[in-house]
Amino acid sequence: MTDREEIEDLIARVALKDRAAFEELYDRVSAKLFGVCLRVLNKRAAAEDAMQDTFVKIWNNADRYRANGLSPMTWLITIARNTAIDRLRARKAGHQDVNKPGFELIAPGPSPEDAAVASSEASKLTGCLDELEADRGAAIRGAYLDGMSYADLAGKFDVPLNTMRTWLRRGLIALRECMSA
Amino acid sequence: MSDETLPPRDEDDLQAAEYALGVAEDSALDAARDRTRFDAAFAQRVAGWQERFVVMAEGIDPVTPPKKVKRAILSALFPKMRVPLMQRLWVWQGIALAAMALAAYLAAPLLQPAPDTVPRDVYATYMAGDVDDLELIAVVDTTGDIALRRVSGQAPEGRVLQLWAVLPDTAPISLGVLPSDETTRVRLPQALQAQIGVMTLAVSDEPPGGAPGAAPTGAIRAAGAINEL
Repeated sequence: MTDREEIEDLIARVALKDRAAFEELYDRVSAKLFGVCLRVLNKRAAAEDAMQDTFVKIWNNADRYRANGLSPMTWLITIARNTAIDRLRARKAGHQDVNKPGFELIAPGPSPEDAAVASSEASKLTGCLDELEADRGAAIRGAYLDGMSYADLAGKFDVPLNTMRTWLRRGLIALRECMSA
Repeated sequence: MSDETLPPRDEDDLQAAEYALGVAEDSALDAARDRTRFDAAFAQRVAGWQERFVVMAEGIDPVTPPKKVKRAILSALFPKMRVPLMQRLWVWQGIALAAMALAAYLAAPLLQPAPDTVPRDVYATYMAGDVDDLELIAVVDTTGDIALRRVSGQAPEGRVLQLWAVLPDTAPISLGVLPSDETTRVRLPQALQAQIGVMTLAVSDEPPGGAPGAAPTGAIRAAGAINEL
C-alpha cells in the first residue's frame, strides 16, 4: 500500500472506533500535525492543547472523512491548522470558529482524476504564490498560516478593509489561474 | 472601493476560497458553512481550495510532540475507570435504566461465584453512532454470550441490522444479522473470546439476509469499544 492508502485505511478503522488504529495513526502523523500547530500558535503549551483537540476531533469525525473528497493528509492537516487558528483567535471577543474541514461537507468528492489534477495543481502553488504581487502572496500566507482575518490584514498592510478584500480576492483569482495554467 | 462584478462561477469559487482560508466572517461565514452542508458543488470547491492551500503547510518541519500529549489524548478518549462495578455502571450516563438492570442481572452471578469456578471479567459496551438515534448496549457474559439490548432506534425500512466484531489489523468479522427484537443473544466465537479486551462491536444496516459478502456494505450506524466493567 502507498502511504496515502495506509493512512486512509487507518482513518477507516478509526471510524469503526478501532483504538489500536487510532494509536498507529497518531504515531504516524502527530509530528507533522504538531509542527503545524506550533507554526500557527508559536507556543508549545498552546500547541499541545491544540493537538489534544485535533485528535479528539479526528476520533469523533473519522467516519465522515470518506465523504469529503479530501486526501487524507489534507484532511488531517486542515483539522490541525483550523483547530490551532481557532485557539489563536479565541482570545478575541465575538470569535466565530473557522470552518471545520470535512465535518460538514456533503460533497461526493472529486473523482480520482480530479484529485490527481488537484494535487498536481497544488504542487504549483508555492511557485504561483511567489509570482503574485508580493503583498497579495503575503496576505494569503498570513491568512492561512497566521490566521489573519481581513481586518488584521487591512491593519498590517495599512489599507481600508474593502481594499484588502479586493486585493486578496484578486490574488486568489490570479493564484487559481496560475495553478491551472 | 467596491468589488468588480464577478461571473457567478467566480463569485462561488471565491466564497469557497475565503471559507477554506478562514477569512470569511459573520454572515458570510455562516452562509458558506450552510452551503457546504447542502450544496455539493460548493463543498467540492471548498475541498479543492483546501487541497491547494495545504501546500503552504508542506514546508513546515515535523516536530515530535512530547509523550505526555499522546497520554493526555488517550486518557481523555478512553478513561480507565478503576472504580467498583456498581459505581462504574453509573458512569454510563444516558443508558436506559432497563439496560443497566440487564447488565446488573448478567453480572450478578459473578458476585456470587460457584465455589469451583473462577470468576472472569465482565465486558460491556455502549454502541451509538451519528447516522440516527440507534443505540445498543452489549454485555459479554462469562460464557462468551453477548447479550444485546437495543435502547433506541431501529433498522431503516427494508434493511436489517448486522453485528460485527472489529479487531486490530483484521477485517470486520460478522457475528450475524440481529433479529428485530429489542433484546437478543449472540454467541461470540471461541476464537475471538481471547481478544475481547481489544474488540469493538459495530452495527451496520444491510439488505435483508445480511451483507452478501464478508464485509459490511451499508452504513455503520452504531459502534462502541468493549470495556472491562
